[in-house]
Amino acid sequence: MTAGALARSVVSGGAVARPLASAVVGIAVALGTAALLVLFSGRNPLVAYLALLGGAVGTPDRIAVALNKATPYLLTGAGVALCFRARIVNIGAEGQIALGGLAATWLALRLPHAPALVLPLLCALAGAAAGAAWGGLAALVRLKRRVHEVLVTLLLNFVGVLIVGEVLQGELGEPGAGFPQSPLLPSAAWLPKLVPGTDLHVGVLVAVAAVLVCQVVLWRTPFGFRLRVLGASEGAARYAGISFAHTTLLVMMLAGGLAGVAGAIEVLGVHYRLIEGFSHGFGFAAVSIALIGALSPLGVLPAALFFGFLESGALAMQRAVGVPTPLVSVIQGLTMIFVLAAMALSAARGRV
Amino acid sequence: MLSMRGIVKSYGAVRANREIDLDVSAGAILGLLGENGSGKTTLMNVLYGLVRPDAGRATFKGRPLSLGSPRAAIEAGIGMIHQHFMLVPSMTVTENVMLGWAAAGSWLRAAAVAARVREASRVYGLELDPDAVVGDLPLGLQQRVEILKAVLRGADLLILDEPTSNLSPPEVGALLAVLRRLRDEGRSVIFISHKLGEVLDICDEVVVLRDGAVAGRRTVAGASRDDLARLMVGRDLTPPLARVAREPGDEVLVVADLHARDAAGVERLRGVSFSVRAGEIFAIAGVDGNGQAELAEVLGGMAVPTRGRVFVAGAELPAGVAARLDAGVAHVPADRASVGLVRDMTLADNVMLRDADRAPFCRRGWLDFAAAREAAQRGIEAFAIRAEGVETPVRALSGGNQQKVILARELGRRPRLLLAVQPTRGLDPGATRFVIDRVLALRDAGAAVLYISTELEEILAVADRVGVMYAGRLVGVVRPGGTDLTRVGLMMAGALEETPDAAALYGVKA
Repeated sequence: MTAGALARSVVSGGAVARPLASAVVGIAVALGTAALLVLFSGRNPLVAYLALLGGAVGTPDRIAVALNKATPYLLTGAGVALCFRARIVNIGAEGQIALGGLAATWLALRLPHAPALVLPLLCALAGAAAGAAWGGLAALVRLKRRVHEVLVTLLLNFVGVLIVGEVLQGELGEPGAGFPQSPLLPSAAWLPKLVPGTDLHVGVLVAVAAVLVCQVVLWRTPFGFRLRVLGASEGAARYAGISFAHTTLLVMMLAGGLAGVAGAIEVLGVHYRLIEGFSHGFGFAAVSIALIGALSPLGVLPAALFFGFLESGALAMQRAVGVPTPLVSVIQGLTMIFVLAAMALSAARGRV
Repeated sequence: MLSMRGIVKSYGAVRANREIDLDVSAGAILGLLGENGSGKTTLMNVLYGLVRPDAGRATFKGRPLSLGSPRAAIEAGIGMIHQHFMLVPSMTVTENVMLGWAAAGSWLRAAAVAARVREASRVYGLELDPDAVVGDLPLGLQQRVEILKAVLRGADLLILDEPTSNLSPPEVGALLAVLRRLRDEGRSVIFISHKLGEVLDICDEVVVLRDGAVAGRRTVAGASRDDLARLMVGRDLTPPLARVAREPGDEVLVVADLHARDAAGVERLRGVSFSVRAGEIFAIAGVDGNGQAELAEVLGGMAVPTRGRVFVAGAELPAGVAARLDAGVAHVPADRASVGLVRDMTLADNVMLRDADRAPFCRRGWLDFAAAREAAQRGIEAFAIRAEGVETPVRALSGGNQQKVILARELGRRPRLLLAVQPTRGLDPGATRFVIDRVLALRDAGAAVLYISTELEEILAVADRVGVMYAGRLVGVVRPGGTDLTRVGLMMAGALEETPDAAALYGVKA
């Protein structure tokens, strides 16, 4: 099945109740399947899952970690969901995050004496601008050169990541660090903590707010309506006077901007510096989350949190029963497959 | 060589073929003539095995031909060249010939096949380079690749479905020469067309279909253009529908020297000029594919003309759909399911489809769903749309009710000009009547209507003036009352061209 067909089957899924049921069923089947894998490796899946749960929500600290991990997923997932709604397959979140983080770092290092609170805001805006530019660039190549956006966004991921690596080798690198990373950012640029004593930063609030804004944009504005029409029928969109080029450029810049903010938040709230490879894997995770969320920003909310909690609990599971952390990636992949399968099934039955 | 007897095929209530007999002799070219929907394509699809008939049988080369299987047809020696070619554009001529050809062997022997391509190309005068990439070839040469494929597979009977519709005049001449060579070799050809000139030029015999039955058979030697045109369109005329008698008002739509190309770059509109006045229905008749689709696209703002200008109410219309909506132009497009509506969206969404960024559906940048639901509810009542409610997805509605949703939206904007393209296609008689009544009411209320259809009978009943389109131009303008049908038939088939005078084109009283 192509990504387009996937998107279509998800879009036609119907109202809210059915995707929700599909998600629950899909997650249950995914966890069950992964449990079999744990069982085959000679360990008790129940114990493993309890350790996972404990690691994810056992203490306020763990919850904070989970929410921090979910933050970039929320931002990128919502943006990708909007793109997919218009049947524009954007898998470029990774590159957009990379450049967003780079722009935020660059600005923070240039303005070390800017006041706290103002500096993170400026840096986040710089990240948004860089991400939007990267997304917009992909859209322009798609529109002007007619190269499919899957290819453009995928390849621009490599370019974006390599630019970060290149800059860390040179201008922004920390001399003598032995690892491609920037110097520590001035503390004025750090994101304030949301709950003192934990790692939880205010980024998660920004992310949740962004998700809600995307939801409103999609369902309550003419722009969101244009996205939905374009995704449902290109012929009808033309007839309705909806410009494919204009809409594609806008939604790609919007998604890129959100990913850029996610990159800035990773730098300003988690690492406090730019590190090579910090954006690794976010692009594809964003696609999974958008699909699990039934291409609805609101659906992205639980999907992103689910991914965040899984990752937060992974280490605890490894410590407790020796199940390696990559099992969490397996669960994430299985979840996407089974949730999509459940949605397709329910859509097919809904037709009859 | 071929004999078909009593072929019957119905699609629901539509009887596409009723008891058709058809004979083709060896070494002859048979012309199959008829309007859109006369049953030509169905009959050929039955012969080629793409469609299983409800009744009837066929023998080919003295042996019974099992109908309903393309494989049986191909193995018996029947080849079909569709209007849209079944070629892989990125492959070479040789590769396309080899594709799916069992006789090419289990191993790819491109050189051997290329040699056969070269040989056959020489014998039939196809002038094909075996190594050329098909996508780079002009349409005329691509068509020859299709012919070559069929001939190399041993086709003794070639079916060509509207083979000249995409060709330029010199390409047509070359195609006809190739077909003559095939005939001289003893092969038979069925030449489906609605162009009288070509049929009379190349065919030995002509069968005319009308309403799914054979309207007449003629040898070309004994046929006249008038005779064939009458056979094609001849029918009892329904009188024009009742309407308010009124003098045509001011010019609402003026089209001046419009030219346009289709997506493949073929010029489909070649200088069209006319005007439509307030309170008048100007209808465009013609066989499908003579530029009506491009005319509708350009006037609807979905395509940009290569030349020419369009004025509405005296002001030149800029490109784009939004300018039409601003100028009060309503558009009922030909393809209701995938252009006129978004099937998976609700009735309310579809009512605001083209106006989501205008009042009343958009207020201060926000969508007003209450307004959309209200408008949809009004549409349901005013147009008697049978739907559960305004939140019903339109895919759940019947074709007639879907068309009513489009009418509710487009007439709801109180247009000064309505562009109605094939507005009754596929509708049952009741829904057809409903649509026509609404269009007439709009005209009576003083709007201008451009009505494009391939249904001649419908056009003659609806229109105040009728323009006939052929090969991208208006070849005549007639008044429906007291029209000589033969003349219209000849015009539709490209056998008669009257340069319409200004009075006819612009609706001035003669």
